[in-house]
Amino acid sequence: MIEIIHQGTMTCIVDSGRYGYAAVGVPPSAALDGFAYGALNRLLGQDGHAPALEIIGAQFSLRFHEAMTCAITGALVRASLDDNPLNPWMSFSAAAGSILKVHEVIEGFRYYLGFAGSMALERVIDRFATNLECGFGGYKGRALTFGDRINIDDCYDIPRGAIPGNAIPGMKSPHLLRVTAGPEYHYFTDAAQKIFAERKGRSVYDVSATINRTGIRLEGQPLTFRDDVDKSIISEGILPGTVQIPGDGLPIIMLYERTIGGYARVARVIRADLDRLAHLQPGDYVLFELVAMAEAEHLWEDRQKRLAALRQVCRRVS
Amino acid sequence: MTVLATASQMNISRFGEDGIRILFGETYDLEIHEKVRNFYFFMRSLALPEIIDLTPSFRSCLIHFDTRLTNFACLSSLLREKEDESLCTGNTPDPTLHEIPVHYGGPDALDMKVVCRQTGLAQSDVIAIHSAVIYTVFAVGFIPGFPYMGTLDRRIHVPRLETPRTRIVAGSVGIAQGQTGVYPFPSPAGWRIIGRTDARLFNPGKEPYSLLQIGDKVKYISA
Repeated sequence: MIEIIHQGTMTCIVDSGRYGYAAVGVPPSAALDGFAYGALNRLLGQDGHAPALEIIGAQFSLRFHEAMTCAITGALVRASLDDNPLNPWMSFSAAAGSILKVHEVIEGFRYYLGFAGSMALERVIDRFATNLECGFGGYKGRALTFGDRINIDDCYDIPRGAIPGNAIPGMKSPHLLRVTAGPEYHYFTDAAQKIFAERKGRSVYDVSATINRTGIRLEGQPLTFRDDVDKSIISEGILPGTVQIPGDGLPIIMLYERTIGGYARVARVIRADLDRLAHLQPGDYVLFELVAMAEAEHLWEDRQKRLAALRQVCRRVS
Repeated sequence: MTVLATASQMNISRFGEDGIRILFGETYDLEIHEKVRNFYFFMRSLALPEIIDLTPSFRSCLIHFDTRLTNFACLSSLLREKEDESLCTGNTPDPTLHEIPVHYGGPDALDMKVVCRQTGLAQSDVIAIHSAVIYTVFAVGFIPGFPYMGTLDRRIHVPRLETPRTRIVAGSVGIAQGQTGVYPFPSPAGWRIIGRTDARLFNPGKEPYSLLQIGDKVKYISA
């Protein structure tokens, strides 16, 4: 069993995401940093769909009521297990009664904690991920808080491992987000298209204070719609990473909590850069860059290869 | 085999690396929506492993596909090949008619007064007009189980809120422009709220989860 002593800024249960029910509006609610989540699963020898904690902020603290192996990935944190410092992106053994503490988040925003065992949670619509907005899945459909206890069943032994530093992706601002053009890209003036994502003359956007698991609002130079288009579109399907432009011209990057949108979809963040979205925090800078679909596909293949390669590297270092 | 270069009824385009958008019309109406529905239920009937998700809506269907199993070129040529078949009604269920009781007005109907003022109608007229129509569920989304329904009588068309509310109660019945919908959960809301229902629109514990499916018909009953 684990017990939350402090939930940090916010902690919730995530997994690989709930797919197949978009027609009734059920969003994936997946781990936002899929690479870090994938690395966590590999460190723990799990199948790629296991529930894990997604945590924001320092001060997170947890007590282990029994011995188990765990791993931590995602944002680079300064953490300790009792008095022993822990390195980021590694697995470690926790003794019964020991306390994990996160003292500082050094780089990035969200980090992931998983356990070599089965978290005793119920599947809701096939998955463990928390739909925070509607209050289902995860742990009682809500974020975790002080005193919450979760049983970890069937704990198993697994050799300890660490992901080498050069395999850990950068998470620091400024964030360069590569995009492909969206269905309403042509709704914007030539000047707006340049401001949005052309290397020369593009605007730097600030991540606003309005961010959550649903979306990230940016501030900066508004994009101007062409005169002959409607600013709102007939509501339609969206996918993670869709960049929507509401009437005020400022981009909103949609994450894993919506299946339908009603604003012009100027672009979509390429899949290889979706992991990065987990680490955008208020005050960070964002730059967009329009790339060709072939390049986006190539970058995704490369990301998948890097993730697959972790299986080999993480065992060697223990 | 299609021999003649007849105008296709499906406009196929990409939406990122793993998305295909199939557009069935420039605007939306029942005829276009019927194509969306036929297409959606046909695709579902194929149960292709390479299709991760389908999001049907007013005039389009978005396909989320697994790039490990297929690619845009393969999937779009499959769609072209099956275009005629996919627009047939063979797999499309008959829509279900639901009656949804609504408490109009009252403390939860945050915008009833504003709607009366904007339309110049008495509350009883707004209620009568809103509950007279049998609506069509054009899409389900925004949040799980939320039905985008049309078409609202022109006399009660009102704009969305300039600034959406951060939280309204579950069951809130809203209107905005030509549409009406019900919020299944407490959630942010940009539509004008004129009533509340006790009906449960989404139950994550029980299939098919959503009370309303695309194409279903809804009649509000003043409770």
